[in-house]
Amino acid sequence: MLRGDPRDCPDDMRTCDDGKQKVCPYGKIVICMKKQLVTVILLLFSSSACLAGDFLSISGRLDLLGVVALESDSIMEDPSFTGRLKIDTPPSKWSLHSWLEGGWDGSVKLPAKDHSLLKLYDEVYQSNTPWLEFKEFYLSFSAKDLELRAGVQRYSWGRLDEYPINDLLNPWDYTRFILRTLEDRKIGAPSLSANLNKDNWSLDAVWIPRFVPYRLAMPDERWSGVPGISALLHIPNAEVIPDEPNLPSRTFNNGVFGLRVRHAGEIEWALNFFHGYDPRPVVKTTSLVINPQPGKVLVDAGYVPDFHKMTSIGMDAAAVKGDCSLRAETAYSFNRWFNTRQELWGYPPSPGPGVFPLNPNEHKSDTLDYGVAADYRIIEDVLLTMQAQQTVVIHRPDTLYVRQFETLLWANLKVFWMNQKVETNLNLAYNPEHGDGMAKANAWYIFTDSWKAGLMMVVFTGPPQSMFGRFSKNDQVEAELVYSW
Amino acid sequence: MNEAGKGQRAEGKRYRQLTPEILWAGCMVLFSFFAITISAHAMSGREVYGKVHEVRSKMLDRKTEVTMVLFDKGGGKRTRTLVEYGKKAEPEAYKVLVVFKSPPDLKDVGFLMFAHTFADRDLWAYFPEYKRVRRIPTTSQDDSFFGSDFTYDDFGGPPNLDDYKFSILKEESFDGRACYVVEVTPKIRRKYTRYIVWVAKDLWVHLKIDYYQDKEIYRTGVFRNIKIIEGIPTPLFLTVENRKTGHRTELTIESIKYHTHFTDDLFTQRSLERAGK
Repeated sequence: MLRGDPRDCPDDMRTCDDGKQKVCPYGKIVICMKKQLVTVILLLFSSSACLAGDFLSISGRLDLLGVVALESDSIMEDPSFTGRLKIDTPPSKWSLHSWLEGGWDGSVKLPAKDHSLLKLYDEVYQSNTPWLEFKEFYLSFSAKDLELRAGVQRYSWGRLDEYPINDLLNPWDYTRFILRTLEDRKIGAPSLSANLNKDNWSLDAVWIPRFVPYRLAMPDERWSGVPGISALLHIPNAEVIPDEPNLPSRTFNNGVFGLRVRHAGEIEWALNFFHGYDPRPVVKTTSLVINPQPGKVLVDAGYVPDFHKMTSIGMDAAAVKGDCSLRAETAYSFNRWFNTRQELWGYPPSPGPGVFPLNPNEHKSDTLDYGVAADYRIIEDVLLTMQAQQTVVIHRPDTLYVRQFETLLWANLKVFWMNQKVETNLNLAYNPEHGDGMAKANAWYIFTDSWKAGLMMVVFTGPPQSMFGRFSKNDQVEAELVYSW
Repeated sequence: MNEAGKGQRAEGKRYRQLTPEILWAGCMVLFSFFAITISAHAMSGREVYGKVHEVRSKMLDRKTEVTMVLFDKGGGKRTRTLVEYGKKAEPEAYKVLVVFKSPPDLKDVGFLMFAHTFADRDLWAYFPEYKRVRRIPTTSQDDSFFGSDFTYDDFGGPPNLDDYKFSILKEESFDGRACYVVEVTPKIRRKYTRYIVWVAKDLWVHLKIDYYQDKEIYRTGVFRNIKIIEGIPTPLFLTVENRKTGHRTELTIESIKYHTHFTDDLFTQRSLERAGK
């Protein structure tokens, strides 16, 4: 594996000589050819169309993204460039599927943390750029009613959009919050899966033997979304050091197991069972440390991502009624953890040098989640989706930020124009308990079968600790150019 | 001129109109009228469509590879390739699975249709971007099929004849073939309120369809390059033009194989998620 951290090496060993690798006295390889390697891979991406033939099915996509922040005191972002390469062997009893992504992530604060070119499965903070990631990479065996898969996989359980209640198997990459589509947010997990089909019944079993954590942006990056540290970022020359958590030991005992039984019929329904670590982020307070150094001030923000095992039993269903396609989900979860209100964490009002132990900030409770969604075709090429979901925190102390009933309302209006040459979307999200929300509008123009361009504007509002309000300084306009083959 | 003279001339005029030639012509007209009426009763619109239904039912067991080219009014074009699998599905009517091969944005997008009867259908669509199968209301069957001028319904099997009224308007030739021109009216209001269809008398396939929304033609479909494949007359080139927007879609059947007898495994949600693999 290509990994190594130059910061573990003496100063004289950190610099590369024209792309050559060095080995520091600690035996770690310093990778100095990242940029060259990524360039080669991206060239491979673009030339792969020529490699496609009867043996392999190859497709890919190149994506250039520019962001203009609308708030002057917002953390800025550089342009990003992403390449995607999908390779499939022809359908047969045994087949291989690969989905590789890589590129330059403009949301990463430079100089980037230099630890690995490939995204890893054992780190929360992976602000590395350039980067490569296998979103999927698995071997399949198909028999008549049975399919077995082994490798890096992503799963889609449940029926709701954006925040499906029963879709818990893959942790999310939050480094762009929810600007990415639901499937793009998911981190592929090395896992084994089985799918058994018989008539209208289907059984899915998934085992992720090694725990995979969610990913967060670094505390001083644009999409970190931890509001309490904003005061710390204003300390002159502050360098916020993230606390990489002590992850649960990567043993089989800490793996994730999921089971889903589906029935297709007039009303399609499924029963879901999940046991493993909760993929939704929660942080544990430690101590705020402000440590002045020559030329900079090192800040440990005093919180660390935390992980808790939970069990969830749920059900989802879908049906068509007249012009509406209806979807619903519910789940009862045992042992979910939540954070207290941030003003109770114990941050000093005017932080100065020193160590400030913070108050415990987590609480455990069972929850009941439920939600419904409807897709309604108003007229041809105009589709309205509405969704409402609610979380009930069963044993809620007053100290929690979340209310006993937390509601999330979504609406999306998708309109196609000019025979689907132009697609526009207006997406609204609102949480009435905290009064926070998000409005997102985008438009795509398809130039040719391969080229398309899009513009997107997103606006957030709400109190600092709320789901959307924590990004209230991240209002932005994005421009995107996509070439696919 | 006196009144009597006027009357004589009028009598003379009347007499001149009823010459033997005129009477003969009148008889011929009457005979033709009766002949047409007798002929129309011998082959009603419903019977014509019974024949069409018979042919289209034979087409259900098939695998088709298709190229669709979408033409803008301004001359721009987009190309889509797809594979369609169909199956006669006793005791159900039929099942259809359609999977896109290109362009890249639509690759592996698919839709699945279960027709329990020729009138009662379930539709599902799969979008790899969301990794989820979605039920589509049956009312969407007249909507545009992924930006083309075809509809979901065009990819289904023959309709339920009891849901329509048929009447033969006339007989004329189209593209050099003798046709019945049949007016087809849905009994329940749909997007298209009526269709005027040119049905080839010798093959019982559509040659042209005008789709009406009330009094206006909304789109026109033309079926050309008809070949007999495995005993089934098959149009290999179809054009549908939207008369309101000027948008046009050409569909070419690159390859077609009938009597495929696919197993039911191919027509499942699992298969839809796996692009028919």
